[in-house]
Amino acid sequence: MLWKNTYNEFIKILAKPRSYIGLAALTLLICIILFAMKADGRMYISFVTASFEQTLSFNGNILNGNLIAFIVLQMLIVHIPLLVALVTGDLLSGEAAMGTLRMLLTKPISRSQVVLSKLIAAAVYTFILVIWMGFLALMVGRWVFGSGDLIVLNSDGLVILNDADVLWRYGLAFLVAYLALLTIATLSVAFSAFADNSIGPIVSTMAVIILFTIIGSLDVSVFDSVKPWLFTTHMASWRSFFNDPVPWSAIWESIWILLAHNILFVAIALIQFQRKDITS
Amino acid sequence: MKHLFFISILLTHFISRAQDANELVKAVRIKLEKVTDYSANVHIKAQVPMIKIDEVDAQVFYKQPNQMKVESKGIAILPKQGLGELNNFLTNEKAYTCALNGYKMLGDVKTAVVSVLPLTENSDVILVKLWIDPVKDLILQSQITSKSNGTLDVDYFYGDQAKYGLPYKMIFTIDVKKFKLPKSVAADLHMTSIKEVSKAVV
Repeated sequence: MLWKNTYNEFIKILAKPRSYIGLAALTLLICIILFAMKADGRMYISFVTASFEQTLSFNGNILNGNLIAFIVLQMLIVHIPLLVALVTGDLLSGEAAMGTLRMLLTKPISRSQVVLSKLIAAAVYTFILVIWMGFLALMVGRWVFGSGDLIVLNSDGLVILNDADVLWRYGLAFLVAYLALLTIATLSVAFSAFADNSIGPIVSTMAVIILFTIIGSLDVSVFDSVKPWLFTTHMASWRSFFNDPVPWSAIWESIWILLAHNILFVAIALIQFQRKDITS
Repeated sequence: MKHLFFISILLTHFISRAQDANELVKAVRIKLEKVTDYSANVHIKAQVPMIKIDEVDAQVFYKQPNQMKVESKGIAILPKQGLGELNNFLTNEKAYTCALNGYKMLGDVKTAVVSVLPLTENSDVILVKLWIDPVKDLILQSQITSKSNGTLDVDYFYGDQAKYGLPYKMIFTIDVKKFKLPKSVAADLHMTSIKEVSKAVV
């Protein structure tokens, strides 16, 4: 019954026009970035390498598909949470707002299974978003710009990764980015369990992301003990795969913290929905 | 009269040393000019502070008088100056003057240390120092000081192509300036990275 309901929930997601906003926005944004890079990508590269190019020259195809994918990921990972929350924040509260929640619960399925089926459907939708982004950024990027070594700027300097050493990093980076976005999805579903309108959970999710991001970026010692526990701190941990050597312990720490947040948000959603007085 | 005689001897001494230096550089230049074009497979190993890069294979193409191109499948880091600039600079013998600074042992080889000074005011090069093997007419070490790129030291190692003045191995040591990374594109947004670094070796 859980899987049948999950299938139904996914059909419901597909039936909503707003579900395609995310995919369309991603496609448009990535196409714009690809066009901009094709037109004036050298300028962007020189911004990164300017400090080094006074004394050194970089030869070879720097502006390649691997770099484009990295730029796209870096630019969009900040905005994709909104696209995820737009769909997942509506899953429970949308039903409450439309008055279909009571009817849904007349089915021979427990409340927990209703929540879990919606969470699984949300996870699948988020996965599709990440796969679509990966396909456009990496595959189309490599098709348009060709392949080549990846040049990455991090806080320690430049890391230049061999072309053959890049794809596995992208694979794992997309998985960790997916886990980060899944945290957004579960957070918004948890908020959704509290609300009876569509917009509230979406705005609340974005407010939490903005608040945590600001706390994380403030160089104030009073927040130092809190920062490592905020899920937003670990949302950019996908970038760590492009360090050499890969800081595995830091990545695993991020994965555990993101998983813990996911479990916490799922638990909140389950408990709240169990206790919820459904009057609509 | 004694003073005049002394000055005269001193001048003769300096003029002869300058002529020696010019002859040494001329011999090196003539050797290099024998090569009208070449292509070489090169293996580049760069040790640059704040840059992590694997060893890279590339191809270098040269055509007289001053066309030089580096082709690489991957990203290859090379010093901005130093691959062909020295040869270009030495080609125009009217653009510089030479002075012999003495002799120095480099390994087992007694080298003549020659300073090459540009005569044109707008030259980017301020001073070139060459350690020349006077027997084989080969540059074993050079130091180029320029306005735009600071000081570049190059060590030359010769093999089969020594008769053309072409080394099989070159080590570039560059003065790298203070690298400041743009914070907005760095991975860790909570860290500003300004690092003082001194030398890079390619």
